Amino acid sequence: MRLSRDHGALYPHLAFTVDETLVSCFYALLQQGVMVRCRTGCSVAAFLKDELKAGEETIEKIQSIILDGKPVDDLEAAWIKDGSTLALSAAMPGLVGATLRRGGAYSSFRSAITYHETKEAYEPEDGVVKIKIFNLLMSGLGRDLLKGGVMVPAGAIRNFLEERSYDFWQGCRQILLDSAPIALGALRDPAWLSGKDQIILSVIAA
Amino acid sequence: MDKILRIDVGAESGPKATKVPVGEYAGLGGRALTSAIISKEVPPLCHPLGGENKLVIAPGLLSGSAGSMSGRISVGCKSPLTGGIKESNSGGQPSQVLARLGYNAIVLEGKPKSNDLYKVFINKDGVKITVDNSLKMLPNYDLVAKMKSEYGDKISCISIGPAGEMKMGAASIAFTDMELRPTRHAGRGGVGAVMGSKNIKVIVLDDTGMQIRAPKDPQKFQDANKRFVNGLKSHPVTGQGLPAYGTNVLTNILNEVGGYPTYNFKQGRFDGASKISGETQAETETKRGGLATHGCHRGCVIQCSGVYHDKDGHYLTKQPEYETVWAHGGNCGISDLDKIAMLDFLDDNYGIDTIEMGATIAVAMEAGLAKFGDADAAIQLVHEVGKGSHLGRILGNGAAMTGRAFGVERVPVVKGQAMPAYDPRAVQGIGVTYATSPMGADHTAGYAVAQNVLKVGGDVNALKPEGQVEISRNLQIATAAIDSTGMCLFIAFAVLDQPDTFQALLDMLSAFYGISMTGDGVTDLGKKVLKMERDFNKAAGFTPQHDRLPSYFKTEKFAPHNVTFGVTDEDLDKVFNW
Repeated sequence: MRLSRDHGALYPHLAFTVDETLVSCFYALLQQGVMVRCRTGCSVAAFLKDELKAGEETIEKIQSIILDGKPVDDLEAAWIKDGSTLALSAAMPGLVGATLRRGGAYSSFRSAITYHETKEAYEPEDGVVKIKIFNLLMSGLGRDLLKGGVMVPAGAIRNFLEERSYDFWQGCRQILLDSAPIALGALRDPAWLSGKDQIILSVIAA
Repeated sequence: MDKILRIDVGAESGPKATKVPVGEYAGLGGRALTSAIISKEVPPLCHPLGGENKLVIAPGLLSGSAGSMSGRISVGCKSPLTGGIKESNSGGQPSQVLARLGYNAIVLEGKPKSNDLYKVFINKDGVKITVDNSLKMLPNYDLVAKMKSEYGDKISCISIGPAGEMKMGAASIAFTDMELRPTRHAGRGGVGAVMGSKNIKVIVLDDTGMQIRAPKDPQKFQDANKRFVNGLKSHPVTGQGLPAYGTNVLTNILNEVGGYPTYNFKQGRFDGASKISGETQAETETKRGGLATHGCHRGCVIQCSGVYHDKDGHYLTKQPEYETVWAHGGNCGISDLDKIAMLDFLDDNYGIDTIEMGATIAVAMEAGLAKFGDADAAIQLVHEVGKGSHLGRILGNGAAMTGRAFGVERVPVVKGQAMPAYDPRAVQGIGVTYATSPMGADHTAGYAVAQNVLKVGGDVNALKPEGQVEISRNLQIATAAIDSTGMCLFIAFAVLDQPDTFQALLDMLSAFYGISMTGDGVTDLGKKVLKMERDFNKAAGFTPQHDRLPSYFKTEKFAPHNVTFGVTDEDLDKVFNW
């Protein structure tokens, strides 16, 4: 996946190999938002397909797309820019869940906050996009994203590591920091994060 | 189902039960039946806690049958919270059991002659009403445990907690679930206070020896039910999203679009949202040995509920709903899921509406009674309600009362009832429903079913802002009809998107009653129910000015989108023009 390559050596790379059942522990970070360095200046449709490698079936499953806090109806007419935040959700319950679906029958209910593009097109450029993955998309798209590597704020990593239980650490098969094994004690000591702004995190199942 | 059980609590020698034929109310169920009885038999200007008011408890048209999702039960009365007509519905087991016992409804009426508290036991042999003052001020969980020890574990219960006995405006009526826990509630509008005013603490139901209700055309019914279930299971919301995460799956997305009312409706985003989201909740439940997928009554195929355990793996409460997590969570600035679950348990135990209570605590926080984010203080405030302290009496009567008592302007209520978890400035269409529903601010009043299926009032251009009024009207009509069937409103998602599933529902009703139910028939039923309810409210003194949001929604900009509620009063007044 190109995302991991693009993140390159900019930040420390923390790579987890964990038991299958523990991958979902990392989904909490997907809810908060992770960042990817990628090509921007493209439509949401192109971003999903080319940058996130989402297939047609996955895109069909993504029923609510929120760009910079606003629900998107037309994936071709909304553009990803450097610094954009893109949140993705499967179909949600309730009238408001239906209201937030892209192009849904009740979209007028939230017309005050619907995304409208201000320009027809943007120049392609390298940039950073914050991505939030919710609910049913976490185990597919989100898992792939974690596998390829994402940027996570150091503070979020610190909190995440602090909150892990004994069972979690028992299920970690390998933890590498910049390709070298890191001892559990060293990892749980927040000192290694000192002065770090972002961390590249990747997660794969053993 | 061919009779109504009327209990005159004002009879000379104590409450007297009479079984009467369903008569003129034949063919009605759920909300249609409760609203028909209230609008015909209750004087609109009566005091909600007086002898003239009645409490009607009615299962749905398909309750007690083999029909899936048919376990909702409606409670109707004149509301002590809104002063208007009220229908509040719930899941749980009693709907199925009451229907199998043959009752279209239970009606509590009259004014008690004494302060004695009563329990009602109903089984195949009849009705037994007994004075039992040992039940006074028992919380719901203790009460149900006591009933279980007396009547065995084949029962289901309809009960009130201390809040109902104290006749508080936020008091709920509890309905036991499959595990005989009082976790499902008719929460809205203070229906528990009306039950309390009749001095009935609990109705115990036992359908042992009764048969499942049989359809007129069993083969067609079975076929339609199968298609209906398949439709629910194949839909991404009812077949995947709700079973996996429950309704709280909405937290993240509402927060992301800036429509999540936070700190008493001050802003649309909460920093702690991901800590209390449905995704986090499901993960927590599973990790602790609870359940993230569970039904609230037998025959449910959506399974949107769950079981929440504490850190030690012990049962704490059922899976809190989205509105509960929001009300006690983001709206109060609280991001501790365990504390929110405790608040949910306390609400259920004392018998209080979780939405009203959360909104009330947020108003109390704004008044300075506690700090936003202080979960322990919030828990203490709920205990005050349970104890019935002077402060608790104010809080237990809801957000509007609390706002008046403590001089708070930002009180998010319509017709005296607190708004649920969707800010009407971000999602303005739901604001139309909040404003105009006869029930007061209620997210479920315009929840269901598809104008693109029913085409109530013709085609609507949904992409135009002015379509909001028409859509709200259509949704309210359709919802009133669905509420009358006793079907869970969550079927709406599948029915919304899949006309075949909607047809399967019509076919179920048709096969069960030997009639020919059509989409037009559903529309007519919804309109009839709404008209009854609006007429009652009008006679009770409601005017178009009551169909408004509080004025600050028009003036206070709501971050992050800095929007205000923009639907005009003139448009709101058109909602019921059909």
